[in-house]
Amino acid sequence: MSSPTILCIDDEVPGLQIRKAVLERAGYQVLTAADGPTGLTLFRGNAIDGVVLDYYMPEMDGGAVAETMRRERPDVPILLLSAYINLPTEVVRMVDVTLLKGEGPMELLEKLRVMLRPASESTKSAVGGSA
Amino acid sequence: MKLPEFNRTLRQLVTLPIVLLVLMAGFLAWQIAAATRAQRALDHSDQVTAQLQELLSLFIDQETGLRGFQLTSDPVMLDPWNAAAGPIQLHFANLHELLAGDGAQLRSLDDLEVRYNQWLGFANAVLNQDAASLKAAGMNQRGKAMMDGLRTATATMLQHEEALRAERSHHARWLQGRELVSLLLSAVVVGIFLALFTRHHVHAISVSYLRRIAEITERSDALSESQQWFQTTLESIGDAVIACNNRGGVTFMNAVSEKLTGWPLEEARGKSLERVFHIINEQTRERVENPVEKVRRLKQVVGLANHTILIARDGREYVIADSAAPIMSGADKMAGVVLVFRDVTEERRVQTALVASEKLAVAGRLAASIAHEIHNPLDSVANLHFLLQQEDDPAKRAEYLRLAQQELGRTMQISRTMLSLYREPKAPIQIDLRELIEGVLLLLDRRLQHQGIRVETHIAAELAVEGFPAELRQVFTNLIINAIEAAGPRGRVRIGMEHAESGELHGAGAIIEVTDSGPGIAPEAAKRLFQPFFTTKGADGTGLGLWVSMGIVQKHGGSIIVIESPDRELPGACIRVYLPARTLAQRMGQPAA
Repeated sequence: MSSPTILCIDDEVPGLQIRKAVLERAGYQVLTAADGPTGLTLFRGNAIDGVVLDYYMPEMDGGAVAETMRRERPDVPILLLSAYINLPTEVVRMVDVTLLKGEGPMELLEKLRVMLRPASESTKSAVGGSA
Repeated sequence: MKLPEFNRTLRQLVTLPIVLLVLMAGFLAWQIAAATRAQRALDHSDQVTAQLQELLSLFIDQETGLRGFQLTSDPVMLDPWNAAAGPIQLHFANLHELLAGDGAQLRSLDDLEVRYNQWLGFANAVLNQDAASLKAAGMNQRGKAMMDGLRTATATMLQHEEALRAERSHHARWLQGRELVSLLLSAVVVGIFLALFTRHHVHAISVSYLRRIAEITERSDALSESQQWFQTTLESIGDAVIACNNRGGVTFMNAVSEKLTGWPLEEARGKSLERVFHIINEQTRERVENPVEKVRRLKQVVGLANHTILIARDGREYVIADSAAPIMSGADKMAGVVLVFRDVTEERRVQTALVASEKLAVAGRLAASIAHEIHNPLDSVANLHFLLQQEDDPAKRAEYLRLAQQELGRTMQISRTMLSLYREPKAPIQIDLRELIEGVLLLLDRRLQHQGIRVETHIAAELAVEGFPAELRQVFTNLIINAIEAAGPRGRVRIGMEHAESGELHGAGAIIEVTDSGPGIAPEAAKRLFQPFFTTKGADGTGLGLWVSMGIVQKHGGSIIVIESPDRELPGACIRVYLPARTLAQRMGQPAA
């Protein structure tokens, strides 16, 4: 099985590049986008296994991007990153996992691994609850 | 009774009796003249009678002499004859003169004189003849008859004069009676008239006087009551009141002012206001201008400078809010000054607490941006740390370290900016306004980006003012966040800053305008915008932001107002802040820190 393809969307370009390096080192294939619309284009044009999405972005925030993705391909899991502690409840419900920025790469990789695990291995809710 | 009427009455009261007495005196003088005339007529009759009696006596003397000579022929016997001759002529002359006005008597006198002359002629003839011839001729009988006629004529004259005298005497007595009655009558009439007249006028004056006294008493009672009322009111109100005369001497203090100044009225009365009401500037602690002087100069109500501290007699300090007003006694005459002030120490404490709470609220409003700004670099640093642990390639490790350094730098910058919101120097310092506003925008950058708000800054030149940077940051953070919230997603905010020339209303400094593309402020809201606890944001706002901002700006000697947006493309709210280049405290001589 080839390594999963992760789509990373964040307007913080240096942070995005660093996160891409971390994920690549963990063995993922990574696509990056610096804003929501670009991310959606990549999402539609590529076989994406998971999405690491920043919430707080100009113009189109993570909530709006996640909503579109869910509508188009509800099977693709989404990990929502945020610098906020208090995210809107409807946004939290829409995604699979949330992660507070700054929690560290080990946490990110762990949550991503669990999120991408086939449904037979574990229930989705068990992972989502950790947010 | 009015004063002119009173004067007229007084004049009448003096003049009329004088006129009446003069008239009465004239009348009496006329009476006296008439009585005098009657007396003179009586005297005249007496003189005439005396002359006639003497004349008769002289006639008898001559006859006696003549008879003696006839009997004796002795010339000595003629002495009486000769002695009487001269006086008889003199008496005739006198009687002519006395009876000049009495025709009947004058005619009788002429007749008497004729008779005398006839007798005299007879007598002379007798003297020239001897006695025998006289007898023969019957001369003696003739002589006797002539002399009898002479006597009779004189007696007739005497009788006439007597009758005249009796008549005159009667007239004189009548005149005396009339005089007495007139005097009595006129005295009674004038007396009664004067009594009635005086009574009438004195009564009018007395009534008017009593009425005036009643009015004055009433007015005095009302005045006293009003004075009592004011005194009680002034004593009862919660504000301190000090009144002084226009020389600045204390004339009144109520209980509150006695308590705050520590001076009882008895001791303070007459003392200069400056001694009793010792006020200083809260910041510079220098003596504040005597309010009496200020009011005297301006002749209008003056609010005293903000941040005034009253130092009581015992050294206790009270933060006070006060005003002074002139007491005018005429159109232009100032009778004194009244000071009204109150202790706002507690109010100030509450205000300080509110300001502190608002500072926290600002921090809260910034929290999202700050969290984002700090978590992003922290996330990158954690990721770089992970990569460094796994990377052996020195070039890549160096790159990761450089990136980590860069991200930590960002965190430091955010942290410094945030701290500068709270760390404050003790005295005003020179502030670069451009740097200050850019710092605020940096904190808000993520939020602006997130909401797609475009911020345009128009900064004319290097603008520096003196002040407290954290406080001013708080002001502009508030104003810009308000503008962002009003503009909404994809809105626009314009920050204009230019140099303000020294003018009539303010000194040189800076004018900063924050304008947004939002819906603007309703006129009703604009009026209350700077009041505490007024908010248009419902539960999301504390209602203290602009109130605190205004307090800060005013503390810097500046002003903050809402104006009509000068930019047609940005029709929303426009807040204009003026900050003087030198703060009030600095201007008042405090050395720069």
